[in-house]
Amino acid sequence: MTTTQNLSYATITLTVNGENHSFILGEGSHEVTPSHTLAHTLRERLGLTGTKVSCDDGACGCCTVQMDGKAVNSCLLLTVECEGKEITTIEGLGDPVTGTIDPLQKSFIDHTAFQCGFCTPGIIMSAKSLLTENPAPTRDEVKESLAGNFCRCNSHYHVLDAVMAVARKGGNK
Amino acid sequence: MKTFAHVNAGSVDEVTNLLAQNQGKAKINAGGTDLLGVLKHRILPEYPEMLINIKKITGLNIIEADEEWIRIGALTTLVEIVKSPLIEKTCSLLKEAARSVASPQIRNIATIGGNLCQDTRCWYYRYPDEIGGMIKCFRKGGKTCPAVAGENQYHAIMGAKKCFAVCPSDMAVALTALGAVCTLAGVKGVRTIAVEELYTPLGNVLSPDEMITAIHIPKPAPDAKQTFFKFTLRKPIDFAIVSAASIITIDKGICTDVRIVLGAVAPTPVRALKAEEFLKGKALSEEIADQAALLAMDGAKPLAKNAYKLEIAKTLVKRVVKDSVVTVNSLNDPV
Amino acid sequence: MKEYRYIGKSTPRKDALDIVTGKTKFINDLTVPNMLYGKVLRSPLPHALIKSIDTAEAKRLPGVKAVLTYQDIPDWMAGFPLHVRVLDSKVRYVGDAVALVAAETEDIGEEALRLIKVEYEPLPAVYDVEEARQPDAPQLYEQFPGNLLPQERRMFGPHTLQEVVTGDVDKGLAEADFIIKGTCAYENIPNPLPPEPPGVIASWEGTDALTVWSASQGPHMFKVTLQRRMGATNMQSIGSPVGGSYGSKYMSWQYVLPAAALAKAAGRPVKLYYGKTEHLAAFTVRLGSRIHGQVGMKKDGSVTALSADWLVNTGAFSEITQGMVAVGCGEAQLMIRCPNWNFRPQMVCTNRTASGQVRGFGGQELKCALIPILTMGLEKAGIDPVEFFKKNYVKPGDGYYWRDGKWWVCNGIDYTPAIEKGAETFGWQEKWQGWLKPTSINGAKRRGVGVGVHGNADVGEDISEAFVRLDSNGTATIYSGLAEHGTGQRSSICKMVAEILQLPLDRVFVTPTDSSVNPFEIGPVGSRGTYAIGSAVIAAAEDAKRQLLELMAQKFKVAPEDLETQDGMAYVKGKPEAKIPWIKGMGYDRTIMGHGRFEPDFTLPNFMMIFTEVEVDTETGKVDLIRVVGATDVGQIIDPPSLTNQLNGCLGSAGIDSALFEETVFDTRLGRVMNPNMIDYKWRTFAELPEMEHEILETPFPSHRFHAIGVGEITPSPGPSAVLMAVSNAIGVRMADYPLTPDKILRALGKVANAERRGK
Repeated sequence: MTTTQNLSYATITLTVNGENHSFILGEGSHEVTPSHTLAHTLRERLGLTGTKVSCDDGACGCCTVQMDGKAVNSCLLLTVECEGKEITTIEGLGDPVTGTIDPLQKSFIDHTAFQCGFCTPGIIMSAKSLLTENPAPTRDEVKESLAGNFCRCNSHYHVLDAVMAVARKGGNK
Repeated sequence: MKTFAHVNAGSVDEVTNLLAQNQGKAKINAGGTDLLGVLKHRILPEYPEMLINIKKITGLNIIEADEEWIRIGALTTLVEIVKSPLIEKTCSLLKEAARSVASPQIRNIATIGGNLCQDTRCWYYRYPDEIGGMIKCFRKGGKTCPAVAGENQYHAIMGAKKCFAVCPSDMAVALTALGAVCTLAGVKGVRTIAVEELYTPLGNVLSPDEMITAIHIPKPAPDAKQTFFKFTLRKPIDFAIVSAASIITIDKGICTDVRIVLGAVAPTPVRALKAEEFLKGKALSEEIADQAALLAMDGAKPLAKNAYKLEIAKTLVKRVVKDSVVTVNSLNDPV
Repeated sequence: MKEYRYIGKSTPRKDALDIVTGKTKFINDLTVPNMLYGKVLRSPLPHALIKSIDTAEAKRLPGVKAVLTYQDIPDWMAGFPLHVRVLDSKVRYVGDAVALVAAETEDIGEEALRLIKVEYEPLPAVYDVEEARQPDAPQLYEQFPGNLLPQERRMFGPHTLQEVVTGDVDKGLAEADFIIKGTCAYENIPNPLPPEPPGVIASWEGTDALTVWSASQGPHMFKVTLQRRMGATNMQSIGSPVGGSYGSKYMSWQYVLPAAALAKAAGRPVKLYYGKTEHLAAFTVRLGSRIHGQVGMKKDGSVTALSADWLVNTGAFSEITQGMVAVGCGEAQLMIRCPNWNFRPQMVCTNRTASGQVRGFGGQELKCALIPILTMGLEKAGIDPVEFFKKNYVKPGDGYYWRDGKWWVCNGIDYTPAIEKGAETFGWQEKWQGWLKPTSINGAKRRGVGVGVHGNADVGEDISEAFVRLDSNGTATIYSGLAEHGTGQRSSICKMVAEILQLPLDRVFVTPTDSSVNPFEIGPVGSRGTYAIGSAVIAAAEDAKRQLLELMAQKFKVAPEDLETQDGMAYVKGKPEAKIPWIKGMGYDRTIMGHGRFEPDFTLPNFMMIFTEVEVDTETGKVDLIRVVGATDVGQIIDPPSLTNQLNGCLGSAGIDSALFEETVFDTRLGRVMNPNMIDYKWRTFAELPEMEHEILETPFPSHRFHAIGVGEITPSPGPSAVLMAVSNAIGVRMADYPLTPDKILRALGKVANAERRGK
């Protein structure tokens, strides 16, 4: 097999919630192996357990984070391939200095837009990505943008209300 | 997930060389939305020893056009296709097909090349190793296809012999309808092949050292009506139970040119050639559409649990034909 | 109606901030120092004896700390009655546990599983509930001849309801104007599929003290039911927030006992967290339910006799199947007014992953199979199903045998107004065109409507205990083993206590769900949270308040009943200006502990009716759910958004959608689940939501402090049969099989014949 012999000394660096993190590639217990997913690294190496893993197959969206502003399933990304990427997790929303939460998070609280709350971080990250790109979505656009997020308690209707409440008016239908 | 060596390839040459040197033991990773599932569930008899990341290769995620062709780089993501004004203007059916894939998160990272090369979704083939071991079927070098006498509700109704898995790619169906060709790069050089010819009953024609680098679509006639319908139990997430793509040109009420392609009915996308032949030169009507639908099913032999797919396929053919004669968007939610 | 300060008002969930910021610690977000990861080797065969098992190579793999097989695992038993070993020399379904590994990392654990060599002697397997009853059928358990589970008379007391046999069925049939015979099955064994897979961390201190952290709907019950099975003299069961359960994470020895065994063997804490594949292929699903029924009916729709064999497929073992059958039998009587019953369940083991507790608890499975048979009679009599349910659903003064086998008399309310309001909102009168008649036809698309009903008398089931502690700083802490599994119940009991003590909501807390801190709690199941748990908490708060006012009375030199308390201050009634803080009466060095206990009361049936409208594409067989209207009466709403969330929950968690697309697809030649992933296992997405409305009436229930009862558990249960009815009406063909996927629709419409098998 052909491989690069110095891989075990390589490092990768990514930005998570505005901070740079470097990881040594390797098999050691605190290193990152090429097979580690971004979800695994966020949870097990950085302790950012707000990102949930449910299906681990890219179907449920519980592990949704933003990569360079776009919603992605962190269970389907290899950490080693996220070199140089800007990752935002649920812990990175809001203002890290003042601790103020994002208006979208506030709206989820106000609308009780969750039940068990396990899928909520992923849903918020998907909705946030939509609002960043399209601050005035229609209700149907919100539905479409959340089509990859599982919610088994069926909090969908409250979620839609919560997202629409912070959507800029104009697109509201 | 069991680990593997990992290489970030900087060029297509590097990829093809690595593929050749590793003799089938290296796999290309683009979006990874299909491959990671394959690896996590250990569905293949052999686990790859190396993954080659091709996302860092420059120049492979472009959408551009000249007078005759539209060129899409293999690393172009599905979301880029959905949002491309050029694609919307020239190949609306490709846009619709891309939009129908999986979920927003997947479309943000999945690539058109990866969509074409994804492995089948047959649930025997993809049975997870962690629950009693993967299933060795005909496609994996086994002797039988367990779907034939099993749970074959999503399997092939035509064109299959020893493996009844269907080609899951929506892009393949759309691109076949558009008459697209793709560029394959290998250690011996570059070749082009029609997307229609890309698939074999057990996979695709790529040799172990080859990768898709680009897709070329001949510019469709501006007045041709393009349609892509995908029948699923759910609009998002699901792979097609049956899909149909069509591009139909009508001149003074008469069908002058037509391509109709069915997806998820066979191991490859299937051109409804008899239906196309029948439609050419005809004034399209409900009755003509019905007859074309019957012709499209020529040669179909469903298994015990998937005869319903034939009925759905007929309906989709009928509806793409009907849709091409009625005003645009009059069928809001045809599937 | 009395205006409350918190009850009936929308208030943010107490845990909301943590949930929306990702700080909530679900079980897999916890680690314990020195913790290992547990993995399970799962059987490739549906039925086999283990001839040999070699773990030497797995044990040699660096990082592996324990490997257990049936030969060396403690002989801990589980199931009802005790019949399942954690690891056995026999496997009974594909995915059954064969060996356990504890390792330093999950990857090492997985590799170790691959190094275990097992030789099996395959046995014939059986999956169909009637085939399993044949004399020559493969036998799963020696002690269950004919694969028949024994009726479990101890589960809910010595007379546990295991059948409904009353009156004289022959006489009833003779009195009938017509007799209907039919079979209907609800056997797609949907998975409740909470997003969070089952998981646990187990850690031993010495050999007799075990700590278990788990995602459980009833963590206190792990202590009660499991500790004595493991030889632990003390088990501390700590519940984490539950990432969805819908009943399924309750009696779950399947992950607790293996983790405890591994932790004991390795001498280190072990986390066992299922992957989603295991969750779908090797964890519990709904009961399989098939009914061969005979109904005697009068022309006016009254039922004179009901005789039925209820074939209950429990899969590889019984988690609590006898209990679900008991409740199902009770619930049947709440729905049908009939003097003559011969309703006989048979609980049968088969070689597939086991059925377990799921929201709807036997009753949903029963109704999905029974209502379609009943409606054959209604069709004959030309009776509107809404009228039938209105006439039949239990009313105050009506009696029924409940799960304990005792005769109870309904002391609740009449749900007729809720039915009428729901029908009006739905537009039932306009949409109902008669049996097997569509509401409307638009080209290939046909619409139809259907209705279903469900209710149980479990809102007051079982024991709950609670303490409420008052601190002199003007705060109250509720001691309750109540787990938060999504209903907002932990916040709702705070509202109840805040209301009684007139404290600001942010001064009322709940202890962690820790069995070493809290008194006995069965858990939030069977819609009992508001009534049973709520009443225990309320009683504790009233007791604490009484003690407080007695203390404060000494300070004021008045009688305690002359005092009021508000916001941590006490004052003589009518003189709020002369208020003093609690600390003035209590001193800084005192706490007040109020005690509350709820005793079971099965006299209060709750109620849920679901109206559905579907659209069927007759050319593709696709069924779309267009509109859902729910109707209920809850006495008093505690928290409006939490209630509507629960009612909206009628779709998923193996509810309405189990009539549309949810199913565990099973290959009966291999014994394998073919769709153990969340692409092939279908669930409803945001993109395809039906219109949803609810009519929630508030007719006070006098016996609750706030006149409220719960309804959350039962909201999905009326749905599937309502959809079956709606689709039957839309296409004009009676359907009797779930889910209504396109193949079934097209076959019913005569568009698809059964093709012959071909190939090799």
